[in-house]
Parts: sequence; C-alpha cells; structure tokens
Amino acid sequence: MLKDSTVIPEAPEQQHQSTVIARSGSAANQNTLRNIRLITVREYKNRVMQRSFIIGTIVILVLIIIGACVPTILTYFASKSNSQTKLTIVNNAGSIAGLSGDALTQYMQTNLNGTQNASVTSGQSTSGTPRFAITTSMPDRVNSLQQQVKNGAVNILLVLDRGVDQNVRYTYYSNSTSITDTDAAQVQSLAAQLNFLDKSSRLGLTAAQTNSLFVAPTFAVVNVGQNQDTRSTGTRLAGYIVAFAGIVLIFMSVFVYGMSVAVGVAEEKGSRIMEILVNAATPFQLLVGKIVGIGAAGLTQMTCFVIVGIGAFLLQAPLLTALLGHASNGGLGVDIANVSVTLLLIMLLYFVLGFSLYATLFAALGALVKRQDEVQNAVQPLTMIFMVGYIASFIGISTPNALWVQIMSFIPFWSPTMMLMRIGAGIVQWWEIPLSIAITLVSIFLCALLAARIYRFGILLYGQRPGLRQVWRLARSK
Amino acid sequence: MGLVVEHISKSFAQFHAVTDLSMEVKEGSIFGFLGANGAGKTTTMRMILDILRPDSGQITWNNKNVNEIPRNKLGYLPEERGLYPKMEVEDQLLFLAQLNGLSKQAAKTELNEWLDRFQINANRKKKVEELSKGNQQKVQFLATILHDPEILIMDEPFSGLDPVNANVLKEAFLEMHRRGKTIIFSTHQLEQVEELCQDVVIINKGQSVVQGNVQEIKRRHGRNVIRLKLDNDPEARWLDTMQGIRVDKRRQDYIEMYMESGFNPNVIVETALRHNGQISLFELVEPSLTDIFIASVGSTAQPDAPAAVLA
Repeated sequence: MLKDSTVIPEAPEQQHQSTVIARSGSAANQNTLRNIRLITVREYKNRVMQRSFIIGTIVILVLIIIGACVPTILTYFASKSNSQTKLTIVNNAGSIAGLSGDALTQYMQTNLNGTQNASVTSGQSTSGTPRFAITTSMPDRVNSLQQQVKNGAVNILLVLDRGVDQNVRYTYYSNSTSITDTDAAQVQSLAAQLNFLDKSSRLGLTAAQTNSLFVAPTFAVVNVGQNQDTRSTGTRLAGYIVAFAGIVLIFMSVFVYGMSVAVGVAEEKGSRIMEILVNAATPFQLLVGKIVGIGAAGLTQMTCFVIVGIGAFLLQAPLLTALLGHASNGGLGVDIANVSVTLLLIMLLYFVLGFSLYATLFAALGALVKRQDEVQNAVQPLTMIFMVGYIASFIGISTPNALWVQIMSFIPFWSPTMMLMRIGAGIVQWWEIPLSIAITLVSIFLCALLAARIYRFGILLYGQRPGLRQVWRLARSK
Repeated sequence: MGLVVEHISKSFAQFHAVTDLSMEVKEGSIFGFLGANGAGKTTTMRMILDILRPDSGQITWNNKNVNEIPRNKLGYLPEERGLYPKMEVEDQLLFLAQLNGLSKQAAKTELNEWLDRFQINANRKKKVEELSKGNQQKVQFLATILHDPEILIMDEPFSGLDPVNANVLKEAFLEMHRRGKTIIFSTHQLEQVEELCQDVVIINKGQSVVQGNVQEIKRRHGRNVIRLKLDNDPEARWLDTMQGIRVDKRRQDYIEMYMESGFNPNVIVETALRHNGQISLFELVEPSLTDIFIASVGSTAQPDAPAAVLA
C-alpha cells in the first residue's frame, strides 16, 4: 500500500543549495543541538521521575545488598547457632610423636580450631567461641563417657590406643546422624596428621625434618603461546568477573532500555503527540533525543547498581570482622582493586556502544507498530539476533581463542559482548579493541541513518504494519 | 499573498487523496476548510505543514515554499489530540514551547498569561490524563499557539467541546485574529464557519467544489428562503395556491418557503394582510452553509479513507 516514496519529507540538508538556505541550514544545526538537548532532558526526567522506575531501582538495590550479605549472614549464623562440639579424648596410647598430656591437647586444639584460638588456657577469647571444646579424661571412664555421648552431654568421644604394631588406633564415638556433619572429617584429618608425625618420630626424624617433607615444590608455569597472559591469577579472575558482569549489564540494558525506547516511540505515536513533535523537531532529532535520554536514565540506574554492588561486596570483610571478630576468607580471593580502571572504562564504552546500536533499531521498530501492545512482537527479530551474541559470549568464555569467537567479536551486533568477553579473558591484540569499536561505531552510524528513515515515515503511519520488503523499499527511497 | 496552494495532488498507492487543489488564504484571515470525512482535509493540512510533500503542485507562504519557512512559524492542532498523557500540563507546554524556539523565560510568561485566560491555572500541575476533555482541548490549543506562530492550522478544533468551552476557544480564535495571525481550520460545525470565517473552501473527494468569500458564496447560491409567521393563522393554507413560491416546511414557530427568482416577496406581505393575518415574523433568509455543503458534497455519507493511508 505504501509504494509511494514521497511519504517522507526530505531531510533538510537535501532541500536546496541557495545561500539563503545555507544560512538557515546553519541555524537549523544550532537548533538541532538545542532540540536534541530538550528532548533528551524530557526523556530523562520523564523516565527517572516515574514511580515504577524509582521503586524498581530501589527494589533491585535492596536485592543486590541482600545478595552481597547472604554469605556473611550465613557465616555469622553458622558460627552462632552451631553450638560447640564437645570432644573428649581418652588417651591410652601414651606419648604420640613426642607429645603427651597438655602438649598433645594443645596440638589438637590448634589443629582443630585454627591458629587463632590456639590457647587452651585463654579459653573463651573475645574473638568468638572455638569450634571444638576439648577435654581429656581417664581410661576407666570410657563406658560412662559412651553413655554421655548417647545422651548428648558429650558430642564426640575419641579413644586412642596403641596396637601391637605400635601404630595408634583411633576410635570415634558419635551420636550424630547429620550427613553434613564435618566434625568426623576434621577429626579424621587430625588423626592422619598425628599418625604421620608419630611414625616419622619413631623412624628418628626431627620435627624440622618432618616439616620439610611438607614444603611444596617450586613449580613455575611458562606459557609460550602467542597470546601470552602475564597477569596474575587474581587479576585474571577479576577480569573474568568484570567481563561477565559487563555482558550481563549490556544484556539487561539492551533488553530493558531498548524495549523502553521502542515502547516510548509507540506511545508517542499512539497518543498522537508525534504529530505535534514532527512539526517542531525533525525525526532525526526526536530519534537521537529519545535514545540519549533513555540511555542516560539507564546508565544512571546501572551506575547505581554497580556502585552499590561493589560497595556492598567491599563492606563484607569489615562486616564479618565486626560480627565475628575475624574475617573468614571463604570467597574466591578476588581482589576488586585488581580490576583496572581501563577495563572498567572499556566495559562502559562497550555498554554505551551496544545500547546505542540496538536502541536505534528498537526505535525504528517501535515506529512501525500501530499500537503499543504490538511492540513485543515487532522487536522479536532483533532480540533473537541479540540473544545469539549473548549466549555465544557465555559459551565462548571457556574457549576465548577459538576462531568462531574471534570472528564473532568483529560482527557489529555481537561485537560489544563478544569483545568484552575476550578482553576479560585477556587474549586480545592491542589493535583488536579499536577495530571492534570502529566497526561498531560505523554500524551505529549506518543503523541510525536507516532508523531515521524508517522512523520518518513510520511515525505517521497508522495502518497495518508494513512487511520487511516494504520497509526496505521505503528505507531506500528518499 | 498569504498562503497560496497551487494545483496540488497527492495520492497514496491507488488512492487519490487530493487532486488538483488550489486555494488562497489571505494573511491575517480566518479560513474555513470544509469537507466530509475522508475528503482530504487532513492530508492537505499535512502538506501545508510540510509533513507530507505533494506529488505535484506547490504551496507557498508569501512567495516562499512552505518547506523553507521555519517550523516555529507554524502551529498545528492535529485532529486526534496528541499530548503526553502522563506529563504535567505546565511541563508539557513549556517543553513544546521551547522545542518551538521559545526561551524558557518567554515560554513561562506566555504560559502564565494563557492559563489565566483559559481559566485552567489550577490545573497546571495536573497530568493531562486527569483533565476533563474540554480542558485537555484547551491545553492542546495552547500547545499550538504558545510559541506565537504566524500560521495556525487546526484540524477540528471545536469537536467535542461543550458550548461554554467552545465559546472560550472562539474568543481565543478572535484574539489570535486580532494579533494578525492567519488561521486555517477544519470543522463539521458550519455555524462556526459562518460566524468566524471570511473565506472558505469546501472539498469533496480531494477536489475543491466551492470556494471563496462566505457572503459571496451564499449570494451565489441565492435560492432565497422566506420565513413567515402569522399569529392568528399559523397554517396559512392560502400560501399553497400562490404562484412563484413553494412551501418547504410548516414548523411550530414559522413556515419556510422557497421563492423563484424574480419573485417579489412583497406580494406575500400584501396577501397576508388581505387575509387579515397578524404578521409576527417575515424574513428573507440566505441559505446556510449547511445547505450549500450538503448540496455540493451530496447527501450520501463518504466512507472513511482506506486503512494504511496516512489517516
């Protein structure tokens, strides 16, 4: 139905070339910036002031904080609720590895509770309750102790005997039925160590000699491959995490804000304010203003998430220290400080590029629908293309050197996420980053031109949604 | 001078929306743009606004092609009302006025004046969707005129307004007219055209059928109508036998008849007096625009333009 090409008003620069027009053309350029700024500010304010936006942001922030605190809280409650394990030792074996009496008890104490609560005599230190409370008892009380294990007064009874082969035998009595009970494993590993020490002392080795047996060998890794990664493991891990987070953020922003661009355009069309707007501003100004405005709102929200997220994670160590008196290092050992500013900036750049590229096309598709509820349907092809790149980025993270990964990282629609993944994995040549950025920029430019054309006729089109061929024909026409 | 439309045509695929339309709107006049639904009014207005380009012909404002005149010289009130429903009245109008080139300060000054004039100052912080239809229409009108455009193009500005609000809007029209603005508006309410417009064009199926000065058009269509009321003889059956006239309808308040050209209306008065009639009304009436409209457009209703056309 829309074979007619002149539906679209020509772009101002194509109109005439007389001197008068040239003057008004430069005035129009000043207007362009002014108009874009006005539209951008309106979009931004409109978005940021929306109750749903504010509430949504707050809810997600709360979730982030809770998510960051969960491990700490679990650790805290675990340390509080797990009552002490009362371990009673009956030693029938005499001196083990040269240790006996209090010295042996102290060794066990140190081994089971960690170095920080080494002292038996200091008892309950301010830094918390030791995991195991160890007492020793006489051999003749074994039967009554067994009874106590049964009724719960004592959790574990450990009986040490020396067999005929001079090896120490350990008998472990417990009433625990829990499958997650780690006590037995801990005690068992203690037994293994004692056993080792005991045997080596009987062989006549000194303590120092025994200890030297445990020293790890020098083991150097030299990667002679082309893409040498000289970074430390901590930095590398941090790189992965930033890349991972970046990909997820780009994914979210493209989906959420790209969708809001499309819906916003459809809304303006639906409420017919577009008819007034096109008289005051050019479709290009409207397109750019909308994308920048919504993009800025999105960036604001994302920045909140990132800052609060990093802050919440950094807070965990002091928080744990405050709660438990010591920082238990249960994490991955990722040093946030190892995330270089450059990497964060690159992530920001790809975030902006990725959003801009998709947003232009989302806007064009939004301009083609008649009613707001058709938006979801209309943007489907685009979201499919995007999903491919998103999923490929996650698959590729394990094989960042594969040829298909390298090729995909230079294809415009997939470049932002794929390249970010490769940079995070640390195997890009220096020229690859600017090349992918250039490719993406050129694509943004081309897509913006295409989108502005589709936008120009789409925004006043209230009929049936045109098919792909009609869109193509219209996009090529002036 | 003013706005000159010369031989413009526009078609969408096989559908001819406008065919060889010419008209002239004098600068500073109020111009009525009439036609049935789907006659091509909105398409023509969009071409004047340079939202659409005609396939052939040209539109000029003071000898300058309309695509060369700055956008902010034009104010457009679209047929289907368009505002951001969730935006406050004040923010919305300031945004649109600034987009049309006004500084923020100037926009505020204008806004304050007009909100007072329209008595909607109390609504300035309300969202548009919370307003009554009449107030929404006032806001829409303000969105059209706040940036002080030279040419106002209004598609059905009076539709859906109660008489009180219609009157407020009419006053605003006249105010803009006093300020020397050129106003083009389309409407179905022909009384308003008769009341406000100097010139008018009636289009049908994209073609101009009648145009010119309202009074001249009426005179040209001068099949004059006589209205007569006799207090003591409301039926006045003697009229039926009279030569040169044809009684059209007998109403409670008067009898309406058509007279042939060359008929002297005095004859009716003389005959009535001869029948001892007490004349309380005797009037020579020009045909209303409604009659002319129906006569020239035809009494059959036009179907709306096919879908997929820029409606």
